[in-house]
Amino acid sequence: MENDIHPIISFFIREGVPLKTVILILMLPLIATLIALLRQVFGVKAFGIYTPLIITFAFLATNGIRYGIFIFVAVILSGMIMRFVLKPFRLLYLPRVAIMISVVAMVILIMLTLGGSLKRTGLAAVSIFPILIMITLVEKFIAVQIEKGNKIAFKLALETLVISIAGYYLASWEFLIKFLAIYPWTILFTLPINVLLGKWTGLRVSEYLRFREIIKKS
Amino acid sequence: MFEFFQKSRSVLGMNARNLEFIRPHNPKRAKEIADNKLLCKSVLKKNGIFVSGLIAKIKTATELEAFDWQTLPNSFALKPNRGFGGEGIIVVYGKKKPARPSASMSETLRAGNGFATGDAGGNHNDAWIKADGSLITIDDLKNHIRNIIDGSFSLSNIPDIAFFEERLQLLRFFKPYTYKGIPDIRVIVFNKVPVMAMLRLPTKESSGKANLQQGAIGAGIDMSSGTTTTAIQGKSGFIDTVPGTRLLLSGLKIPYWKDILTLSVKAQEVSGLGFLGVDIAIDKERGPIILEINAYPGLSIQLCNKTGLKERLERVRGLQIKTVEKGVRVGMELFGGEIEEEMENISGKKIVGSSEKIKFTLPDGKEIEVLAKIDTGAYSTSIDIELAKQLGFGPTLESFSQIDLSAYKLLPENESLIKKDFLEKHKEKIPFLEDVAVIFSSSGSSLRPVVKIEFKLDNEIVSSSANITDRKNLKYPVIVGKKDLRKFLIDVNK
Repeated sequence: MENDIHPIISFFIREGVPLKTVILILMLPLIATLIALLRQVFGVKAFGIYTPLIITFAFLATNGIRYGIFIFVAVILSGMIMRFVLKPFRLLYLPRVAIMISVVAMVILIMLTLGGSLKRTGLAAVSIFPILIMITLVEKFIAVQIEKGNKIAFKLALETLVISIAGYYLASWEFLIKFLAIYPWTILFTLPINVLLGKWTGLRVSEYLRFREIIKKS
Repeated sequence: MFEFFQKSRSVLGMNARNLEFIRPHNPKRAKEIADNKLLCKSVLKKNGIFVSGLIAKIKTATELEAFDWQTLPNSFALKPNRGFGGEGIIVVYGKKKPARPSASMSETLRAGNGFATGDAGGNHNDAWIKADGSLITIDDLKNHIRNIIDGSFSLSNIPDIAFFEERLQLLRFFKPYTYKGIPDIRVIVFNKVPVMAMLRLPTKESSGKANLQQGAIGAGIDMSSGTTTTAIQGKSGFIDTVPGTRLLLSGLKIPYWKDILTLSVKAQEVSGLGFLGVDIAIDKERGPIILEINAYPGLSIQLCNKTGLKERLERVRGLQIKTVEKGVRVGMELFGGEIEEEMENISGKKIVGSSEKIKFTLPDGKEIEVLAKIDTGAYSTSIDIELAKQLGFGPTLESFSQIDLSAYKLLPENESLIKKDFLEKHKEKIPFLEDVAVIFSSSGSSLRPVVKIEFKLDNEIVSSSANITDRKNLKYPVIVGKKDLRKFLIDVNK
């Protein structure tokens, strides 16, 4: 494989950019396109494009996706519980989010310690940045909760998780990594794909389901 | 499968809504009017459109501290200016009189402080009653307003304005269908034509809010008659009746229908939005009032109506509509469904008297006019032998008379047997014979030949299967029976 690497990538590496970094950056447009495709054609919404993207990379940065999923679920659950706990206090938005982030941070810290004491060192060994990223996820969750209600916030959280897992597997696919190392320019194909997606006016798969009664009838 | 996709083209999806309708037809400035309730209110009001009355607005924390709570009436709605999805709205229905002990206590306190005394003036024990019967105090309201000003209910948390609005009075008509709150009517207007509408009824699930996402009922509306058709609750799930009752959700005729459509088209004109949803409520005293306009109307309205919106929008796109009245008329005409057709049929029926002149065309092309009795007591139409001969059924009668009928016992229970037997044996031999009729009457039963004829009654062409009988001694050579009177109403005075 070493010999097949595209000259431009070899050049990056020679200049001191690690191969892993180059590949991750090249993955970025692919995952972003995947998210756009899922939204426009399939109707999987998630929390916009930034959140699933950053969570995907958080997953990639944790050792083993199950710890990532574990932390994600813990953050969302504590966010949901905290909302009910804080409701009677009628706090203003930012202080309320600050409290939530503090509580979620504590919960994660306790979890990591517990994991360590149970000899689940994998959890405690997760580096700090993915953890921080996932803790701040709680703000996105609360914002949606306020705007659209519990049910939808939960649904979007689930969709975010699904997309991030899909993104994780896409980005850790050996074949794709090699392919990008050999043909890095192929990522430019995401541009026309996104232009097409941006002009796509057809029904989304989710809408075919939602409006099936009308379609059957007419 | 292919058919499924073909049919799905009538449905408007998110992608098409944004790209084909909102983007090209809703300019930024117009969207600003839709998103800003206070601005919208004043723009509409300036143009002479009814909106719910503004009581007061609070922009800053200082204004909040200085606010005189005594200016608030017993019932009002408190709303965030840039709120969406019905979030952050508090509606109160009445003011709670302070309990006696606390009132007298605070009175003495205030008297001691040198403040004016009076019934509940400036009193922090003041409270209002919410839809669910719970109380909300001035402190609660203050806190809520602080949240609004801070932007807790606005998109992307931009600082906002809180305002008090007059509460609308529920129309008695809607009372049985409504849980607390006020129902509203959403009309989608495009290119000055109202294209689709739904009635939204607050339910227990939606805690008195007319918001489908929160579990309100949405009922589709026939555009020309303003009558409800099918209904859903929440985001899906078709229902027939108001949950927990037997009240049907279809067939409700919405009052002020034409006014509502007119109002919605006017709102579009004034706002400058090309494609929008207009929310209108009906106040007991003031009639239809615009609640708000929406530059991003939701898609569930299609489910309520069981009809795709895209097809309707495409039919309206590019039409040259000059006046509001024209737009309303076009919407009513294009998107009035079956109910209206039925009504048209009823009103469009010709009215005939109990005897009418009807016209036959003879074989030689000449028209003759005969007097017919319009007889709802008879099932089918009968014509006299002489007339039948004139119409060219002479050979039919001749062949018929040669058949020996004595073998048939003319009893009601034998009717179908007789008919079957006769037709099997003789139909081929008798020219123009369509059927035979077994007639039981007080003057005796008879077996008669039936032929196909056509006549004009009040200029409507009626094609009929008529039996032929001897009516020589009767006043009318023809009686027209029920079977041929479906397109007519009978006026015995005529």
